Amino acid sequence: MPVCVSDSVKVGCFALQTCLNYVLSLGIWPGGGSSDVQWCFSQVKGAIDDDVAEADIISTVEFNHTGELLATGDKGGRVVIFQQEPESKNQPQCRGEYNVYSTFQSHEPEFDYLKSLEIEEKINKIRWLPQKNAAQFLLSTNDKTIKLWKISERDKRPEGYNLKEEDGRYRDPNTVTTLRVPIFRPMDLMVEASPRRVFANAHTYHINSIAVNSDYETYLSADDLRINLWHLEITDRSFNIVDIKPANMEELTEVITAAEFHPNQCNTFVYSSSKGTIRMCDMRASALCDKHAKMFEEPEDPNNRSFFSEIISSISDVKFSHSGRYMMTRDYLSVKIWDLNMETRPVETYQVHEYLRSKLCSLYENDCIFDKFECCWNGNDSVVMTGSYNNFFRMFDRGYRQDVTLEASRENSKPRSVLKPRKVSTGGKRKKDEISVDSLDFNKKILHTAWHPLDNIIAVATTNNLYIFQEKLN
Amino acid sequence: MECAFDAQNLISISLRKIQSSRTQRGGIKLHKNLLVTYVLRNARQFYMSKNLSQTQRTHPYEDVAAVRERQEYLELTGSFTELADDFYCNFTGAESDTWHCGAHQPHGQPAEVAHQDASACAMVAPSDSDLMVSEACWSCADKSSWELPIPNTQANQKTVLDLDTHVVTTVTNGYFHSDCCAQPKQPQGAQCYAKKRKMDTSYHIVDPEFYLPDFGPVPCKRMRSEDDSHSDSEQLDSTNISNLISVLGSGGLSEFVSWQQTDLEQIFAAQTICLKHTLLTGSGWTRAIEAF
Repeated sequence: MPVCVSDSVKVGCFALQTCLNYVLSLGIWPGGGSSDVQWCFSQVKGAIDDDVAEADIISTVEFNHTGELLATGDKGGRVVIFQQEPESKNQPQCRGEYNVYSTFQSHEPEFDYLKSLEIEEKINKIRWLPQKNAAQFLLSTNDKTIKLWKISERDKRPEGYNLKEEDGRYRDPNTVTTLRVPIFRPMDLMVEASPRRVFANAHTYHINSIAVNSDYETYLSADDLRINLWHLEITDRSFNIVDIKPANMEELTEVITAAEFHPNQCNTFVYSSSKGTIRMCDMRASALCDKHAKMFEEPEDPNNRSFFSEIISSISDVKFSHSGRYMMTRDYLSVKIWDLNMETRPVETYQVHEYLRSKLCSLYENDCIFDKFECCWNGNDSVVMTGSYNNFFRMFDRGYRQDVTLEASRENSKPRSVLKPRKVSTGGKRKKDEISVDSLDFNKKILHTAWHPLDNIIAVATTNNLYIFQEKLN
Repeated sequence: MECAFDAQNLISISLRKIQSSRTQRGGIKLHKNLLVTYVLRNARQFYMSKNLSQTQRTHPYEDVAAVRERQEYLELTGSFTELADDFYCNFTGAESDTWHCGAHQPHGQPAEVAHQDASACAMVAPSDSDLMVSEACWSCADKSSWELPIPNTQANQKTVLDLDTHVVTTVTNGYFHSDCCAQPKQPQGAQCYAKKRKMDTSYHIVDPEFYLPDFGPVPCKRMRSEDDSHSDSEQLDSTNISNLISVLGSGGLSEFVSWQQTDLEQIFAAQTICLKHTLLTGSGWTRAIEAF
């Protein structure tokens, strides 16, 4: 049993993170894969009605390092943070619920007058910083600007000022006859979010990723053609570490689609491309990491060649395992697990929805083929999860080689109701509980999922709702 | 969900996507448009390879010179009957090895056959089916056109489709064909968009970085070396989305966002009128363009 971590410990230092990774690598973490886990509904956040406002469409979901906080970003530029309540003694079978902790407007729509372009306020990514003091910090980004937010609690307020009334109005100094020392009195808890840093004007193209380094001092931001390295304290400059923009734009053949830092090695990061390749770079090698240290690429199967081969091979997400030994990539139809020591092919490939291969034309017409699905690891790297259509999401147990399809829907929203596995019928005969491919609703897609770092709690974002599922505890 | 999986429809859909991306909020998405151009290239290559194989099959005993001359007008000639057959997605086992609409077909097994009724695309009277094609009313493309390499190593030809003016020109060995610019049979009263577009800087990508304010030491971008360009030449040839990307650019595409003068729908309408008339003289390719 790991000795250095429990649910209530605030992870705040690098040594603790290292210890955690060591324990993970030993494989003695409690909690199993999908073979022995039953998932049950816990909560759903968001509007009930089917009329979805575009601004409310969830665009990113992220747990913090302890799992106590869950942040979501939406297309309207808003960030909503949920906090897990402490476990109730009355209901030991349930882990604490997540309730709204803070809501703030992170980004506003802007207009670039020079280029006559509107800059969307949509939050592309949120990344938490490890907690160092009482306050929480997170990075949020839209297409052009990254912001560092401080979320702090205030439960006391000063009272007894000599020159100010209690309501804030200033008193006439001539009316002051005695002096008193202001004191702090308890007040209702107030959570404040304030922007501490704004990192702007460094990206010409659309930012698709941000990633915090394990040194907890720097982070990277990636757009279609460049990756910049920032220091969290410095906003007026950044270092360009990757630049794939050709001298002649007419020679452009691929773009950067995602980037992430290695969880342990502060000098190592990876970035994926629209061509289905992943490049690992070492910042110690040179200032400009155009030359990769490793390139991970699987040759294309010529039998699967189609008009849309390039589209479906484009990688939409890349995530390192917590141990740092593996990385996972998501393309349109599959999830691949790569061993960092082997560049020639992935060690595991999981088909998410292979039945869509024959539907690529239609998916191209309705733009679904451009959907960017994310993927995530569970706490001990034994299970991976990703989303699909019809509000389905898939889990793949790496150890038991099993997979399950579950659905996030209001119909299955009874508290603690166990989720029933779903199945898509691909053959001619459809069984009773199966759904045919043609019946799938491609407007209901799960692009963003997150897994609690320590427990079997998952957050799954449908279009405008956030579902929280927990492991069924006996 | 129906699937429009013949190459020409794909080209039409792709062009529409590119056009609509110009007006979407947040600016043009470089990634998405790059992927769309790949589909365009693939569809174009498939269509041209089908055309080429059709032409070679019907004229097996012609000499090389005659074949080359015919290939010169590959995209503009061909009997309507032959080209009409191309509108059927009639994949046999042998032909569908390389190109299909995404369905994985085990090697050697016949692919799913999907038929598109010729009458569905009929803009041409059946009586015209035997007419040979005359030249379409295309004019020269300018530098900012989209080069589409066709798999024709003998003639080293490229067919250039200008997305701005929607004119098609055949380029042989790097030279534009002046005969493609020759005055075609202009239909009376039709609004043909035949004039060559002036060289306009607004059609060349203005590097968005030009607008970046100074904010401190900016590391110099490493210049591509000769070795790099040579190693990429293969990729460049096979993925020559060059000029389209230059048209699309990235963030600095305000010129296109505010580009009102050449609204694409107007071009489509004008082209359709022009091409419908030309179609009466028979041209499978022009009929394909009409679909745009």
